[in-house]
Amino acid sequence: MKTLRSEEETLTGSMRSSCPVLPMQQPSHKLESLSKRDNPDNNLVQPVARTGVPDSPFVLIIKGLNASKLLKLLPRVLFAIVSLSLLIGTWYLGTKFSIDWYIRFDNIPTPGDVLSELNKLGRQDIFYTDMMISLRRIVFGFGIATVLGIVLGILIGRFRLVRQLLFPALEVLRPIPAIAWVPMSIMLWPTSESSILFITFIGSFFPILLNTIDGVESVDPVLVRAARSLGASEFNVLRLVILNGAMPQIFTGLAVGMGVAWVSLIAAEMISGQFGIGYFTWESYSLVEYPDIVIGMGLIGVLGLLCSGVIRLVGNLMMPWVKLRTGGAH
Amino acid sequence: MSEHIKIENVSMRFGKGANQIDAVSSVSLHINSGEFVTLIGPSGCGKSTLLSMVAGFQMPTEGTVKMDDKEIHGPGADRGVVFQQYSLFPWLTVRKNVEFGLKMRGTSSSERETAARTLLGLAGLLAFENHYPDQLSGGMKQRVGIVRALATSPQVLLMDEPFGALDAQTRVVMQQILTNMWQKFQISVMFITHDIEEAIFLSDRVYVMTARPGCIKAEIPIHLPRPRSDETLVTPEFLRLKLQIRQLIGEESLKAMGGELKDGGMQGFSIDVGSKGVTELL
Repeated sequence: MKTLRSEEETLTGSMRSSCPVLPMQQPSHKLESLSKRDNPDNNLVQPVARTGVPDSPFVLIIKGLNASKLLKLLPRVLFAIVSLSLLIGTWYLGTKFSIDWYIRFDNIPTPGDVLSELNKLGRQDIFYTDMMISLRRIVFGFGIATVLGIVLGILIGRFRLVRQLLFPALEVLRPIPAIAWVPMSIMLWPTSESSILFITFIGSFFPILLNTIDGVESVDPVLVRAARSLGASEFNVLRLVILNGAMPQIFTGLAVGMGVAWVSLIAAEMISGQFGIGYFTWESYSLVEYPDIVIGMGLIGVLGLLCSGVIRLVGNLMMPWVKLRTGGAH
Repeated sequence: MSEHIKIENVSMRFGKGANQIDAVSSVSLHINSGEFVTLIGPSGCGKSTLLSMVAGFQMPTEGTVKMDDKEIHGPGADRGVVFQQYSLFPWLTVRKNVEFGLKMRGTSSSERETAARTLLGLAGLLAFENHYPDQLSGGMKQRVGIVRALATSPQVLLMDEPFGALDAQTRVVMQQILTNMWQKFQISVMFITHDIEEAIFLSDRVYVMTARPGCIKAEIPIHLPRPRSDETLVTPEFLRLKLQIRQLIGEESLKAMGGELKDGGMQGFSIDVGSKGVTELL
């Protein structure tokens, strides 16, 4: 009975481990405000870059941070340090004194255990194999969802007939969480690899699809008229006006979709997988390698954050005009 | 002069049954080649509907819209359109916006660039060719809009209250720029506005429209000599035209606002100002 209960708790615990991925779900205007905050730093770097002397990034940082800038940053840095210390401190104290106040720390590895285990694991190939396999599943599952979600989203948003034909079926499937697809997926697909890809796909597909439809519908009709009067064919209207006009919302969909893709992938790997970070984390529990659980959780968080960073970066590169839109005009 | 654009007995109805609205009712008008013609009338009189039929965005319920004796079936690059809401593509730079029509035509990228830069130079916008529309002021955006519509060398320029969103000073400058462009390119212009001075200042001919359902109330030729300047605005002829059009539109605006005020409806209407009547104050 005791093990069963602890299993349940570990399960909910590891579900929560996918939460570091959630910050990606913030709406796009929030993403922009974040990137705007980066701007002053870019400006500071520019004068140095213009001299043509190849400084190391470290030197640039030193030159960029003058005293007043540093003073302004100080409270934020201090709070960040306090915040992280509280988290790690609680963990450390909890494990050191094996606290048992309804939540129990007696089986939880200490920060020190985790660090030395990480040191050991870092030298093993299997650790990197798991990581690469998870990343590959994200690339394919999320990639297919991106292509299909954007293409279908544009067609549904633009043509009433396509909408009437496809939307009812999609609306029935949409509320089903990706994790609920796991048993069905195992039956549907010939290999466990393809069923995991499918779960990852289905999780990210709907946010991308719905945001694309929304984006297409929000394109100003006067832009379509302008394009038509300049001689654009329907195909060129779709490709050059609708797609570009919907782009900001498509990227909102991609950011949300990437978050859900990780949630779905980890769940699928835990249940039906061989290899992958989710499988690694779950198996560490079965094999009583408790420090590995923490490492798996941390890695999932870091990879999720990296992936959403890539989406943001690509978005900023593809849409330099969006920043101007939100208040850069003079 | 030949009739370039010809609108014959055009009616436009929206909706069905009890909700049916007559937007335009048996309108006939024409625009000669190289002529600047303005449609003016109270809001909701269907002047924009007429323009969008010439542009090919809408089809008339009855009647025909022809260009060079050929019926118009859809939008095309032979008719440039300038919209009130600027309608620049925000994701394209100023130059790429201007190049858009040429790109659709398959013009090579170097030719496109030359053409766009020449036109932008004429509009005084060359320094802003790599800016995005959101970095420009309203007047600059609309100049880009005009230049973009001219880039495909259309025979007609259709302008739907293009300066409606601009402040008074910018408007005056834009009117001069537009006149210069029109004379340079020698194209026909169909212009829509509710600003009487603007209509007289720019046009060769003004059509005044009635309130809904819109039809032509009067056709007024403007014989003011060109080039026109600020002085034109205070000539007796200008003021006479202004009064004439003002009265024509005034009647229609009242109609559009609801009940017709009967002749002398303002008589017997008094405001008590310190026990003096309005007539005494005046």
